Amino acid sequence: MAKADNLQGALELLVMKILRRGPNHGFAVSSYIQQTSDEILRVEAGSLYPALHRMTEAGLLKAEWRISEAGRRARFYELTAKGRRKLETDEKRWRAVSGAVAKILRTA
Amino acid sequence: MGMWSRIRKTLRGDRHSVEIQEELQFHLDMDTAGGHDQREARMRLGNVTRIQEETRTMGIIEWLDSALQDARYGLRTIAANKTFSLLAILSLALGIGANTAMYSFMDSLLMRSLPVSDPESLAVLNWGANPTGRDFVMRNMSGSTWREDKWLTAAGIFPFPAFELIRANSGAVFSSVFAYYPTRKVNVMVKGQAEQASGEFVSGDYFHGLQVSPAAGRLILPDDDRAGAAPIAVVSFAFSQRRFGDAASALGQSILINNVPFTVTGVAPPGFFGVDPAAAPEFYVPLHTNLVLPLRARATDPKVYLEQNSYWLEMMARLRPGVSLAQAQTALGPVFHQWVDSTAANDRERAVLPELLVHVGATGLNTLRRQYSKPLYVLLAMAGLILAIACANIANLLLARATARRREMAIRLSVGAGRFRVIRQLLTESALLASIGGGVGVAFAIWGIRFLTFLLANGREDFTLRPDLNWHVLGAAVALSLLTGLLFGLAPALQSTRVDVIPALKEARAGQPGSQRSFRRAGLSHVLVVTQIGMSLLMLVAAGLFVRTLSNLQSIQLGFNRENVLLFRMNARQAGHRDPEIHTFYGDLQSRFGTIPGVLGASASQSPLLGQGTWSDPVVPVGQQPKASTHILMTTPDFFQTMQIPLVLGRAFDDRDQPGSSLVAVVSEAYVRKYFPDRNPLGQHVTIRPGRPENRDVEIVGVARDVRYGALKGEFRDIAYLPFNQGSYVPVEEMTFALRTSGDPLRYVNTVRAIVSQADARVPVTDIKTQAAQIDQIMNQEIIFARLCTAFAILALLIACIGLYGTMSYTVARRTGEIGIRMALGAQRGVVVWMVLRQAFVLAIVGLAIGLSSALGLSRFVESFLFGVQPNSPAALVLAVAILLSAVLVASYVPARKASRIDPMTAVRHE
Repeated sequence: MAKADNLQGALELLVMKILRRGPNHGFAVSSYIQQTSDEILRVEAGSLYPALHRMTEAGLLKAEWRISEAGRRARFYELTAKGRRKLETDEKRWRAVSGAVAKILRTA
Repeated sequence: MGMWSRIRKTLRGDRHSVEIQEELQFHLDMDTAGGHDQREARMRLGNVTRIQEETRTMGIIEWLDSALQDARYGLRTIAANKTFSLLAILSLALGIGANTAMYSFMDSLLMRSLPVSDPESLAVLNWGANPTGRDFVMRNMSGSTWREDKWLTAAGIFPFPAFELIRANSGAVFSSVFAYYPTRKVNVMVKGQAEQASGEFVSGDYFHGLQVSPAAGRLILPDDDRAGAAPIAVVSFAFSQRRFGDAASALGQSILINNVPFTVTGVAPPGFFGVDPAAAPEFYVPLHTNLVLPLRARATDPKVYLEQNSYWLEMMARLRPGVSLAQAQTALGPVFHQWVDSTAANDRERAVLPELLVHVGATGLNTLRRQYSKPLYVLLAMAGLILAIACANIANLLLARATARRREMAIRLSVGAGRFRVIRQLLTESALLASIGGGVGVAFAIWGIRFLTFLLANGREDFTLRPDLNWHVLGAAVALSLLTGLLFGLAPALQSTRVDVIPALKEARAGQPGSQRSFRRAGLSHVLVVTQIGMSLLMLVAAGLFVRTLSNLQSIQLGFNRENVLLFRMNARQAGHRDPEIHTFYGDLQSRFGTIPGVLGASASQSPLLGQGTWSDPVVPVGQQPKASTHILMTTPDFFQTMQIPLVLGRAFDDRDQPGSSLVAVVSEAYVRKYFPDRNPLGQHVTIRPGRPENRDVEIVGVARDVRYGALKGEFRDIAYLPFNQGSYVPVEEMTFALRTSGDPLRYVNTVRAIVSQADARVPVTDIKTQAAQIDQIMNQEIIFARLCTAFAILALLIACIGLYGTMSYTVARRTGEIGIRMALGAQRGVVVWMVLRQAFVLAIVGLAIGLSSALGLSRFVESFLFGVQPNSPAALVLAVAILLSAVLVASYVPARKASRIDPMTAVRHE
């Protein structure tokens, strides 16, 4: 947690977590985040796609064109083995940090 | 990035971007399918190319590309926020438009040089003096005088001997000295067609000194300018086009000026208008032709060239290279002083001698500047205020929006968009707004210039100030709009990117008061609103004062009926009519006008009652000393009946008053009050010009009710009316006819023209207008001020209200949560409305306090433009405050009502 890349990290964490359930396209990822968070979190395309591409470049995701459920060509992202390992460590770290923050908020 | 990888990336780039494009298109389609409106979805998605581009590292080529993308994205943002953009662009355009139009006028008035070569080396010769009593070496002056700096009287007219003196003694500082004076309106006949035109008498060096080359033929040379030389004329380029078809065809033609033949030897270049931007001479004739060309009843007496105390000739000079105005003044001042000292008759005259002044000549004479620059400065100041209010508004709108966009910025920054890039994006948006505003503003300006020209000229044909949108003006407009864009773009842009990413993201959608910074930002926007309100109040006060002035002027008792009167002038003497035939000529015309069906009465006088100066000379009861000059008007018999001026005693002129019968006069009540306060004036004899050889004894036969003659304002003047045909005063020349008509006076113009042209085609009919229009022209400046100020004040008020509305809406939006909680805790709607209104009124009252104190301080600057109303008239102040407060109420009631409609449940859920 060296840098203030918390938020960037948070978005990537969410993306990896969602893609762990299976390959999916960007729109599904953004809708899922929005719905599951009761509309509190809204990921704009302007942040999501750059993140997806950055993660693909970094080898965390694998992208390929498939036919979506609606019968259209869509770019699907899939978590790679490297991605899974990163998800595990990042999730652990996130829980530790947010647990610590929550604890301070409760007690202080 | 290495060279190789960059090339590879560029090669790969195309395919890459096509894929991203498709991916984003998919996202967009899904969003649309999910029930979102197509446009909205696109807005939500943001800039496709930008997202594409952000997925790659930026190369040098992309850097240029991205600027274009910023612009495209900015345009889309502008289109997405229609109301915001419309308000911003409109207020900016109005501000810039008003300023550009006013600046164009200032530019054409104050800065434009004469269209001659090397105008910088021209100098104008004037004099200044501080006369105290009646003793003064300028015993005879013909020309205008004015106040200037420390001089009570300044003027540009000199005796001919002074011109010779300067010409002979200025070789060291001037390369040439030339003189001129206007002919004023004369009758010019070309090929049997007469018209009224004005020209200039010029000395032989005039064109040489101005360094002007002819468009055709040759200009006037020193040899043409001597007594007895063949009379030649140079005509203006426009005149040659209009009357001869083109410049070359004018050469060698003969024109009759006041019935004296002149040969056209040359045509002045296009655009040349002499040395006074206020005048546009149609022709130029040698100075000494004034010995043969009669301007009034007679040609100029040759003695005037020798008289040392007759001031009539104007002078300019061209400085030798390297000589300054101050050096010329130092060299010639003593020479002139010594000479003028020799013309003084006694020590009293010697004590108040005029002093020579050498002024800048590049911009020509200052006639127009003296007339219009002060009103233009006042209007320019108002236009400046409008722009300031508009800028404050835009700053405010952007500030509010920047706060609303904090989350967007935070996300951008969090996904790694460079801070510089975000700032650049915001600046691009502001600059776009500013340039669209500027563009529309230029269109407004073009329209505004036309409108202003129309207003200032107010129907006058000889209005010569024709400003157009030149490059300076355009440059100023562009600079103005860009500067505005940068100013109001930069502050919000810097603040936007300084968000602390985490709290901004955590903020619920509608936002909450949150950090200290947002308080400070609210403070800034309050300052802007307060300033706007203060400035609007200033404009409202000004508008109130000018409207009152105008209505006071319009309700002045004229003493005659201004409605349904047609006025026009003609000058039969200039067309060749002589005494005594000229009296029958005018008399016959009057009778014929009287028989036009629909004309209820016709009369003529040697000048109109209003719109021109007056004739005045002492008229005193026999044996008394003159108290002051009396205003004199020579009229035809039916004058009082036609103008509907009631006679209170005696009779008007009638058929009894003929040439050769006993001389009579009608005087006004003011005259009776002055000279016959306790006597019946009827039958009394008065002397016109007592003590002069041409004095006349006349009998008072009637007393007329007071009327306005020569001036609208002030006390009623004492007037002596004389029959025009009795030769009791000056010879008859120009006459102004008045027709009392049933219905629109302008309907009778063609009939009038036909009658005159049938009587004598050489006599042109000029200055045709209704009496009402003529009075409006006298109040021109007041009408302009009242109209423009009202328009400006409404504009300012509107823009300020938009600003206030925006600020209050934003405040309400920011306080949604708080208001919701209050309402959940039982606050009534009325309380909530009052809470919001109170905030608006606190702002308004602070603004009013500032505005009122500046109004009290500034209004004395416009005192000279006011009539019948004090600069700090309480009525005007109260009215302005009342209007402003009602506007504030309207502007803030809508957001207040919205606040009271907040649903507590929704509001609280936002938290």
